[in-house]
Amino acid sequence: MRFVRTALFGLLTLATITAAFAQGNRPTQTADDFRRMLAMGTKYRTASEFYAALKAAAPGGGRQMPAFAQLPDWSGLWMASGGGNFFSPGPGGTAPKLTAAAQSALNQGADNQTKGIEYDENLSQCGPPGYPRWLVIPFLREFIVRPEETWLTSETVNNVRRIYTDGRDHPPVDERYPLYYGDSIGFWDGPKLVIHTNQLMERSMGRNQPTQSEKMETVEIWQTVNPTTVKADVWIFDPALYTEPWYVQRLYARQPNDDKSLRIRYWSCNENPNNDVIKTPDGSTNYKDFTFDDKPKEPAK
Amino acid sequence: MIGRIAACVALTLVVAVPLRVEAHHSAVMFDDQKEVTLDGTVKEFQYTNPHSWLLVDVTNKDGSVTTWGFEAEGPSTLLRNGVRPGDLKFGTKLKITGHPMKDGRPGALWMKAVRDDGKEFWPGGRPRGQADNP
Repeated sequence: MRFVRTALFGLLTLATITAAFAQGNRPTQTADDFRRMLAMGTKYRTASEFYAALKAAAPGGGRQMPAFAQLPDWSGLWMASGGGNFFSPGPGGTAPKLTAAAQSALNQGADNQTKGIEYDENLSQCGPPGYPRWLVIPFLREFIVRPEETWLTSETVNNVRRIYTDGRDHPPVDERYPLYYGDSIGFWDGPKLVIHTNQLMERSMGRNQPTQSEKMETVEIWQTVNPTTVKADVWIFDPALYTEPWYVQRLYARQPNDDKSLRIRYWSCNENPNNDVIKTPDGSTNYKDFTFDDKPKEPAK
Repeated sequence: MIGRIAACVALTLVVAVPLRVEAHHSAVMFDDQKEVTLDGTVKEFQYTNPHSWLLVDVTNKDGSVTTWGFEAEGPSTLLRNGVRPGDLKFGTKLKITGHPMKDGRPGALWMKAVRDDGKEFWPGGRPRGQADNP
């Protein structure tokens, strides 16, 4: 019994230490701030209405493109602050209000996880993570900011999200079709980039996660927190998943790269056959045949 | 009591860190409850996206040679963790540790390698609290 207590204390201490390491000097969101931000979105029936209200409240009605010199400096390489998904409770324990279908899918996913069954419907065959999963994937990112358009990129499968800030609207309804990253328009509210995304594709949100629908729309507000941190506040509207809009905050950390050795390179799963995986009969993941016994390539001169 | 707690925390830290990030596929094909440590010679370092493979020739007790593959993340993660393609060239002797595949094939999730000159390589990042390379 004493050992059990000791072990539990040890694990609790570990959790505290790990959380402290994970947070570093990054800002943490309080429960009150989380609830306030969540409530900003739940006031609206649709993401379009929310976006329109933010735009109407911005100086000049969000119609003025700022000069390049007025834009934030998001140069360099960035990484997401690790982990996270779109269904876990926020700070203070506020949980998303899920549809029965989403809850059932989450339960099934948890059951699979317990059994060690995992397959990535998005990434295993090198498909794109898609949006909003893009917000949580690891590895390097670049944010290329110009007055008329911002590119939010990631090295994973060479993703690029194009955010049009030149005043254009979404395509007319008759020209819309499902897209991995959707169609994103935005405006600058001073130093904040406000984005509305629709035209998303119905697909898995990650390993053992529910499926998002084509009705999903989001609103994002991106801004600088400090010289090494950019944050994105994101409201997700999807009646297939949530009975009320849900909100998540993501932080991105600028990566140390004083010697300029880090660069984003092209990413192709076809580059190395040893990375080919299959979906096993039980729905999990395993490697195909390896080529370990092949003659090694001649090293470059 | 304090010593026991400290030992428990330290043990758990060693087990829990570093954590594998969400890469191109799940890591369920590896047995994270087991470790294999082998002495061998580098056959090839496939420094590729989305995963890199260090191929290591290992001489078995009967004198035959098995090529093992040790899987790690792609180049940008390896570079950030100080594992460069030129560090582990063809013919380099090393001791390498990983989580072996569940199905018994000679593959493993690469945790650590120690080159014959003593330099250590942690492709997923050095566990916190451990000293730098000698």
